[in-house]
Amino acid sequence: MTELQAASVVKPWAELEGRDRHAACMLAARDGDKEAFDALIADLAPLVWHVARGSGLDRTSAEDVVQTVWLALLRHLHRLTEPRALAGWLITTTRREANRVQHRSTGQVELSPEVAEQTPTADPSPEHEVLRTERDRALWSAFHKLSQRCQELLRLTVLAGRAEYRAVAEALHMPHGSIGPTRGRCLNNLRSLYNGDSGS
Amino acid sequence: MRTNQSDDELMAEVARLVNELDPPPPGLVERTQFAVALDDLDNVELEVARWADTRPLAGVRGGLPGTITFFVGDLTVMVNVTRTGERQRIDGWLVPAGAHGVEVRVADHGSTVTTADEGGRFVLTEVPRGTTQLLVRMNAEQSRTVVTPTVDL
Repeated sequence: MTELQAASVVKPWAELEGRDRHAACMLAARDGDKEAFDALIADLAPLVWHVARGSGLDRTSAEDVVQTVWLALLRHLHRLTEPRALAGWLITTTRREANRVQHRSTGQVELSPEVAEQTPTADPSPEHEVLRTERDRALWSAFHKLSQRCQELLRLTVLAGRAEYRAVAEALHMPHGSIGPTRGRCLNNLRSLYNGDSGS
Repeated sequence: MRTNQSDDELMAEVARLVNELDPPPPGLVERTQFAVALDDLDNVELEVARWADTRPLAGVRGGLPGTITFFVGDLTVMVNVTRTGERQRIDGWLVPAGAHGVEVRVADHGSTVTTADEGGRFVLTEVPRGTTQLLVRMNAEQSRTVVTPTVDL
């Protein structure tokens, strides 16, 4: 593309959505367009965040992982063969990095969820302020007792419900508007955990 | 519990809780954009270091000066941060030792650069506080550069 053409085409990714947008941003970023890379971060950092949290990391470690994954993408910018599959690459890379972080910290004494819940930390998590009702508290507690796989799947389902996250649904092979059997099982597990919790 | 609640209704509740109780931290996008805003990456082999998890409880690292450690491959870097008024002093120690280039980037404050001595020690004074990232250029060569996630100092 000549410079004249480049000047007349204002941000080819600006009007696009989903995988098309990610692919266009990736290609622009490879050509040195930092704005395109920043747009990818703005779009998809929340996805990376929820995968990291769904893998069981605390909020501080999750943020480290978010940045590590984007630095890794910067490093692999020219090596990623399928720009349209970026969301899938981010999910896979985040899981791997989250596992690595967890394996490293297993030498430490882990706090049980009950203890952790009552331990004051400087974690800026707004969790304790916002829990409005007993039901919310019980449901949130049950959610954290789900398997990591279910927690991650349900978090990503939340994201996939938004228009800009269509690529997430595709990366997870979740057809639009249909309820995957795994999601159904996870919700059933959540019901059981909730009922067990409130029955005790 | 309303056991007859449909999957969609339960999912909507989960969505509300996830969005309200565990949103990405404020500034996550901006800090990540800062972390990747690195110049002159041509012909650079970038390695991403991890902060060692030396925190007794999650979340206490931010804003609290003290010793933090990061590592990647065979490289370990210990960093001790001391407040000096509005600014701070950073004492560092790299292993394996060598005359590695060290750069400290602080968001909205540019960067401070030095070179470690033969023992791997380096000192940076009058470093502004803020969202901070460290870069180590192994043996002061551009070709192998180690970069950290940001830490709020």
